[in-house]
Amino acid sequence: MQPNPFLSVLRNPLVGVFIALLVIFVISAVASPYFLTSYNMSVVARSLAFVGLITIGQSMLMMLGELDLSLGVIGGLCGVVSGMLMINLGLNPWVALLACLLLGAALGCFNGLMVTVLKLHSLVLTIGTAGVFGGANLVLTKGVAITNIPKEIQFLGRGDLFGVPMPFVVMLIVLIIASFVIMKTPFGRYIYAIGDNTPAARMLGIKVDTVRVLVFTIAGMLAALAGLLMVTRLGTAQPSIGETWVLPPIAASVIGGVATTGGVGTPLGAILGAAIIGVIENIIVLFGVSPYWQGVVSGFIVVLAISFDSISRRYIRGDR
Amino acid sequence: MNKLTVALLTTIAISLPQVASAADKAGMEKKDSYRFVIIPKVVHPWFDLVNDGAKQAAAVIEAQTGSKVKIDYSAPQQADVVQQNQIVESSISTRPDGIAIDLLDASGNRASLEEAIDQGIQVTVFDSVPPEGMKLTSIGNDFCEQAEIASHRLAELLGEKGEVAIMMGVPTAPNHAIRAECHKKVFESYPNMKVVATGIDNDSIETAQKQAAAIMQANPNLKGWVACDAAGPIGIGQAIQEAGKVGEVKMVGLDNLPEMLQLIRDGVADSSSSTKPQMQGYWAVMAMWQQSIGIETPKYLDTGIAVLTKDNIGE
Repeated sequence: MQPNPFLSVLRNPLVGVFIALLVIFVISAVASPYFLTSYNMSVVARSLAFVGLITIGQSMLMMLGELDLSLGVIGGLCGVVSGMLMINLGLNPWVALLACLLLGAALGCFNGLMVTVLKLHSLVLTIGTAGVFGGANLVLTKGVAITNIPKEIQFLGRGDLFGVPMPFVVMLIVLIIASFVIMKTPFGRYIYAIGDNTPAARMLGIKVDTVRVLVFTIAGMLAALAGLLMVTRLGTAQPSIGETWVLPPIAASVIGGVATTGGVGTPLGAILGAAIIGVIENIIVLFGVSPYWQGVVSGFIVVLAISFDSISRRYIRGDR
Repeated sequence: MNKLTVALLTTIAISLPQVASAADKAGMEKKDSYRFVIIPKVVHPWFDLVNDGAKQAAAVIEAQTGSKVKIDYSAPQQADVVQQNQIVESSISTRPDGIAIDLLDASGNRASLEEAIDQGIQVTVFDSVPPEGMKLTSIGNDFCEQAEIASHRLAELLGEKGEVAIMMGVPTAPNHAIRAECHKKVFESYPNMKVVATGIDNDSIETAQKQAAAIMQANPNLKGWVACDAAGPIGIGQAIQEAGKVGEVKMVGLDNLPEMLQLIRDGVADSSSSTKPQMQGYWAVMAMWQQSIGIETPKYLDTGIAVLTKDNIGE
């Protein structure tokens, strides 16, 4: 008997979160005449891009069964260091951006090495390193933003490609690469295997520690990329960049079907989760929700979205 | 005179009265409704008072003109410039008649403000300094003068001698930074006074309390406090009470939140050098309304500073 193609689509683990996003989109479009305007869509896309880059890195770590709470501050630190290199030291902006991408990778690698070599719990370790990196940010800047970021690189944060904001284009490219690596390469399969059952992965000959360090490094680099894009967006290197990028990427990954215990999920699912959060943040302003009610409203919609996903998993896809 | 010259002169002659009448018409056309957006630095009781003032202005315009005025109050959950910019950009999508914002960081907010202006939306700033080179109406008070009043008063209370500390607020917020700098300059002008510690409370009462408690532990000879934001003195007051140092450590606070007023009544704080948040909200809406009907508004509106003491705050 031929499998029903409709049922095959419904059984895809991303369907629940996608339908939840679609429902939120439709309700928002009906309720607010401003929601679907091209300007508002570009606002939503651009704000999604920054958190989205961190979300891709965090979701890869979560698939591995790890967490990095310092990714937001890595983004902020790399942002201010890039500003200092460009403005205080007069370095070529492109060289400064590249150097800070490498700095982000190095900080992520440091976290990875501490986790693997010293066998530290990543959650606890990165609470500490977040303090160190965030503190370094304040020591370097004394809390004062670095202004006059060169105009020649500001198109990365402010420009667009055929109407699509550049940061979103960058995030899409990263998402495509990450999805390809996760779904189609041995490295991606190793991540799932380690996240699912680390001892078994070791027995199969997978270099568990090397994969872990590499994923931490990639996540650090993506955090730096988010921070650098934000610097080009603002035109200043703000010490506060990344302060609000800690919990949303984790929440987005969970909403998008990434298990905190590892072995399950995809970066695409995590980005759909981030899109749900991004759209909620946007419609709260469009609908004029009182700031005191915003937490209640956004939390309630997130609970509805993950409940919908859970129900669809049980009754449509037959998961138990 | 050739034909081209005649045609040009005729065109100018016809268009001149129209240009003049366009300028004369500013403010003469009535709109049935207005919607203004107020964006504070963060969810905070001080900004609720700004919102109260904004709503009062809306009610006054409605009563006097019959036009409906709606105030949308949209605050970032954290004092984060990225989050504040997202709110500005989402607000632009709703095409309001004006946006009034308390800037978290003038340079960091600049791109979003320029976007609003590009989209034809008038922007007014309150309680903060506009980004350099941007011609925006700014409503507030002289932040330096406000700090100077507080620090001179503390110096007077302490007999112009002793160790003092400054709670700095959000270091990247221009108004907080200006106040901190002016506090320091005042204390430097007294040869027998010394700033022995500075804390950063990020506009959080809880953080201010922790910082103040730690600073008083580390500096047992500390005699006085001043602050740079509204949350700071409330946290400092709690720390002074918990340390049992009421009367021993003096404080001159900032602003007029209910907790601040209670600290003055309880004798924990001597006084407060206060901005007038309701007035800032009121005049922010008035400025946005005038701009939306085409009237040019002043570069700066000074809402003044009030010195609040036990004698003038009532029960």
